[in-house]
Amino acid sequence: MTDTMTVNLLIFAAVLFTAGFVGFLTRRSLILMFLSLEMMLAGASMNFIVFSSYFGNYQGQVFVIMVLTVAACEASIALAFVTLLYRSKPTLDVRAWSQLTESLDEEQPEQPETIEEVHLEFPTLTPAGLDPLVQPVPSEFKADVGVAKPTQGIMDKESPAKEATHV
Amino acid sequence: MQAIGSYLSIPFAQSDPIETVSQLSGSWNLSMLIPILLGAAGYLLLQHGIVKGKQYLFMGVIAAVASVISASLFIPPAFENYILFLFCALATGGAFGFLTARDPVYAALGFATAVLSISGVMFMQSAMFVAAANMIVYAGAIIIIFLFVLMFAQQTNLRTYDVKLTYPVVAAPIGVIMLGTLVYCLTAEGAFPLSRPDATRAYSEASPPENLMTDEGNAAVKKLKTIEHTGSYKSVSPSTTSGLGRSLYTDYLLAVALAGTILTVAAVGAIALATKTTGEDV
Repeated sequence: MTDTMTVNLLIFAAVLFTAGFVGFLTRRSLILMFLSLEMMLAGASMNFIVFSSYFGNYQGQVFVIMVLTVAACEASIALAFVTLLYRSKPTLDVRAWSQLTESLDEEQPEQPETIEEVHLEFPTLTPAGLDPLVQPVPSEFKADVGVAKPTQGIMDKESPAKEATHV
Repeated sequence: MQAIGSYLSIPFAQSDPIETVSQLSGSWNLSMLIPILLGAAGYLLLQHGIVKGKQYLFMGVIAAVASVISASLFIPPAFENYILFLFCALATGGAFGFLTARDPVYAALGFATAVLSISGVMFMQSAMFVAAANMIVYAGAIIIIFLFVLMFAQQTNLRTYDVKLTYPVVAAPIGVIMLGTLVYCLTAEGAFPLSRPDATRAYSEASPPENLMTDEGNAAVKKLKTIEHTGSYKSVSPSTTSGLGRSLYTDYLLAVALAGTILTVAAVGAIALATKTTGEDV
């Protein structure tokens, strides 16, 4: 591996990186922007390979394997995002997503939601401590989710067991 | 022609650093712009000829052939150099086809050409495993992206966002400036050769252990030692896949484990993101 050849291949890697860079700046399709990113990664990997060959050790190749791993992760996540975005707005244009803000429609401004009531919900369990032979639990009894109001609680006069039998 | 002659007379063995620097700076000259300009003209004429007519196509082919011939004069005459620079030219052409294609399917084809040629260059740099892995990973990714492109772009006419790009007149000079800066930094005086590491000591933990207990291990170690001692042990050329594997699983074991973890996390995340929630369950 001579120095001249190393410089030639480094320039080749720079050309690849620049092509990916210009592609990322100019393209508007989400998938092609993503491909431009991959092109930039390929240029960087080329650099690592050339230096691995120049210095005569494996470090550059190991780095390229890590780059490939991250590129695979990035590909999967990016395509998942593209499908997610395509589902909500059927276009691949990046400009469709240039405003990720709330609606700017003056006639229908988005009002902040006011929380009016706080419901504390606790599950009502099957009454315990009763002998099922003496006081059998009725068959239509369901352990449902009750709404506990602030006045109700543990200090309530009516016991849960009685309530259950009333049901 | 004198410049070409001076380029060809560069000794390809390692020599004195200062001497090499002066030769490097002498080997880069303005006459190397000729094949580049010819190739650019050929590319433009070819693209023009596909739309307009045959005479442009003919001129484009002539310019491209002239570019290839004039570029081959600069290449040091060896068979492997020709193959290497053929791969480089293919990759560059694929990259520019990817940049200029309007149809996303053609753009993806150009990208596939570029990536496969890059794998070829890696193969010529004796990075066998990385070249194969690059091909496999990118081929799989390209097939999936092809499917996506075909799925999303089923209409025959082109979309507006594929034709009207974002400020190509601004982006192209930015790219040219960046490339010029990179090339200037690479070819500047004193940029090369870099200081090489001390090659007399073992660079990696992955050198074979001295005493293995089993006979098979002893035989393997003996074989390795004979191979490496017949050559020069001090400069281990990174050409074997087994050496890469040994280095990967000894020096970079933690990195490999982390890479596996991040792959798992990414797979889980992608599935969780892309799954359609119906609203009934969850």
